Amino acid sequence: MAVSLQLSKIAKTFVKDNVPFHAVKELDLDVKGGELVTFLGPSGCGKTTTLRMVAGFETPTSGRILIDGHDVTDVMVNKRHIGFVFQNYALFPHMTVGDNVAYGLRMRNESAKDIKTKVAQGLEMVGLSQVEKRYPNQLSGGEQQRVALARVLVMRPKVLLMDEPLSNLDAKLRIHMRTEIRRIQKQLDITCLYVTHDQKEALTMADRIMVMNKGQVEQIGTPFQIYTAPESTFVADFIGQANILEGTLDDLDGLTSRISTGGSNLSARLLEGKSYRKGEKVSLVLRPETLSLSQGGGLLGGTVIQVVFSGDRMEYTLRLGDGQSLLAMENFYPGIKVWQEGDSVDLSFDPSLVVALP
Amino acid sequence: MGGRGSSVKIAIWAALGIFVVYPLGRLLSSVIIGDSGPSLEPFVSALSQGGTWEALFNSMTLATAVATSGTALGFLFAFGSSRMALPGAVKKSMTAITVLPLVSPPFTTAIALTLTLGPGGTVLKLLSLPDIDIYGFTGTLLAELLTYFPLAYLTLRGVMEGSSNDLEEGAMDLGATRWQAFKTVTLPLSIPGLANSFLVLFGLSLADFASPMVMGGHRFPVLTTEAYLRITGMYDLEGGAALALILVAPALAVYFLQKHWTKRSFVTVTGRNRGPAAFIMGPVGRWSVLLPIGIVSAFILYLYGIIFAGSFVEAWGLDHSLTLENYRYAFTSGMRSIIDTLLLASVSTVIGTLAALAVAFSVVDGRSPWTEFTSLLNSVLPGTVVGIAYVSAFNSGPLVLTGTMTVMVALCVFRYGAPAVRLMMASMAQIDRSIEEAAMDLGASRARAFRDVVIPLIMPSILGGARAIFAVSMTAVSALIFLVSVRWNLLTVRILECITELMFSQAAALSVVLIVLVFAFSALLDRLARRLSH
Repeated sequence: MAVSLQLSKIAKTFVKDNVPFHAVKELDLDVKGGELVTFLGPSGCGKTTTLRMVAGFETPTSGRILIDGHDVTDVMVNKRHIGFVFQNYALFPHMTVGDNVAYGLRMRNESAKDIKTKVAQGLEMVGLSQVEKRYPNQLSGGEQQRVALARVLVMRPKVLLMDEPLSNLDAKLRIHMRTEIRRIQKQLDITCLYVTHDQKEALTMADRIMVMNKGQVEQIGTPFQIYTAPESTFVADFIGQANILEGTLDDLDGLTSRISTGGSNLSARLLEGKSYRKGEKVSLVLRPETLSLSQGGGLLGGTVIQVVFSGDRMEYTLRLGDGQSLLAMENFYPGIKVWQEGDSVDLSFDPSLVVALP
Repeated sequence: MGGRGSSVKIAIWAALGIFVVYPLGRLLSSVIIGDSGPSLEPFVSALSQGGTWEALFNSMTLATAVATSGTALGFLFAFGSSRMALPGAVKKSMTAITVLPLVSPPFTTAIALTLTLGPGGTVLKLLSLPDIDIYGFTGTLLAELLTYFPLAYLTLRGVMEGSSNDLEEGAMDLGATRWQAFKTVTLPLSIPGLANSFLVLFGLSLADFASPMVMGGHRFPVLTTEAYLRITGMYDLEGGAALALILVAPALAVYFLQKHWTKRSFVTVTGRNRGPAAFIMGPVGRWSVLLPIGIVSAFILYLYGIIFAGSFVEAWGLDHSLTLENYRYAFTSGMRSIIDTLLLASVSTVIGTLAALAVAFSVVDGRSPWTEFTSLLNSVLPGTVVGIAYVSAFNSGPLVLTGTMTVMVALCVFRYGAPAVRLMMASMAQIDRSIEEAAMDLGASRARAFRDVVIPLIMPSILGGARAIFAVSMTAVSALIFLVSVRWNLLTVRILECITELMFSQAAALSVVLIVLVFAFSALLDRLARRLSH
């Protein structure tokens, strides 16, 4: 049965040359058993530090860490039953693949027979049964990654921690490994924290995403929530592509609104729990792929100032009536209307997909 | 770590206190404390003795000449290997040939020079030249040049390979001629390396004892030989100590200047050399580099051949009939010294390697500059200084160790352990912390992770350190010569005795035995290291 994980107000402050650096500021997180949560954010946002605190490589300056309800904050790393997959794999270069995978089991003094079976199972799970006798430097990057995964999985860890495990792989392999890791994690029903700075990786793999910035949580939610209802312009900008337009909140009623922007008036979704005031400035988040171009009709009007063809779609940069610019994308297929620079166009979109942030 | 780490630190400090600080303190006090309290009288009187100023002048002249010519020759070799399109085999043999003098006993070159250019020498006979006077400044310079220029080569090669050929190509692309590119790019970028190599060679020449002992003799006294002769010939310990102290200042100056220079090096910021050189040279430039390299390489090989050949003849230059008599001599009369030397080197290697590992482990994080400086002090100072300091310290007083194996081992460990420490620390720094963390994540304790992961990964550098300690302990002479006694005899000292008694063929045989032993052990450790490296 997969175990739960709680981080309660954990914080980490590093002091260098007498200058404190607050890497993580009082962070709370509840992870349910079997859930995969990705930590997403730019480099230096504290995501890896948080992960290393859960592993026990770093001691929190304050706060508690609970695994399965037990406080493990002061438990040594080698007693926490956590599996950690490193960005650079950290395979032992002087041991064969088999010995690498067997290492933890040997530390646990398991019988040679058990070790043999478990190593074989572990390697089979990641599809590498044939390389047991080889050394890490004789494997490709993707294979090394899978050995690192097998090495911690044979330990049946309570929690699996992964620190940007795919960032050293090429793009194609990365996509393949995403589904592979997700499949194994679900199959073994392991609670998992997964650090990445790749938003595609976070969106495709996670049950929930925790977006971090400057040591703090920006938003926690399902990929769908994070994408469609970003709670800050930082999240909107970091996940996917977003147009962020300035506007003025002319009127509001509950969660519906009337906003003037780009020389037009339109309505947009307001988020629960945020405070809006009539007459104040708001930021509107419009995803480029939700916009479609036409002549006549539409909610916003503008002029095409740049056209880029990127194979599967057309990307148009528009200048709106009030001078703000905006990116729109349309799927490309032969026969579709292609706009030219200088064309006057109207933009139509579903207002419920537009979020206004105070 | 906590308690264990600090007890290791205390042990290290105690050992450094006894075998580094204390001897140097005794050396200093023997010179500045007279019969009636502190005075500079013994120091001044030693300086005013006849030979002192001549020895100082000779030492400085020789060091300047060796540093200049050695750096120039080293630069030529480095330029050839890093900037010219030479076949790989040529480069490999260049490296192999230049390594020979580095790993040989210190007076190998001197003996070989005597056999080739000395009275009745082979080169003279070959070219039917009259006997020339090789002994004195010329001979000492030649011997030191051939012994030490390889270090200049290795230093400069590292620097020059660190900067990319792109820079010279860029200069030529911008309109520079080959010569201009060399003058405006190659040379300025090499200046830190050149300065560094000059300093290293200057320091080595100043500290050298073996070459001036064999080639200089009474005609060309330098500080080290003069100090030795005063102590062993005239039983004037204070006088010898005073001369040794004169050597301390330049040695420390070289050490600090070198530290300063290497810190300022700006060469490594550019990309790596792409390998086979792209620096296009005209035929004149090519041959003006390759010809000297070829001649010097051939001469070095010839010298080593002569040592080998000389060990199989009755009497070099007089009677060239083949004989095994010299080896019979080596393994009968010289057997004691062979066994003693092997014993000393083996014990020093084991203790030195373990000590170096402890030091490397305990200082790798949070090192103190004072510990580092003190631990390096014995290796920075000339062997003559350290040898005399040990004699001053352990001949009398609370710790009498003269003539024991203990004091000889201590000298080897504290004088030759430093490079091993540096080697191990460098390779520890290269291990990604995550590998150790991975072991701990899988349930290993810190000690277990160190044993399972760190030790195997730094094993090549542990073996490399052991090899270095063994090689120098086998071949060192300048400091150990003061500590040999009736009880313990050393090969190097034995060889020196043979030379002074003009038994060159026997000296050659003993040298061959020594070289073979050092090479065999090095090769053994090398093979082990290669099998263990990943």
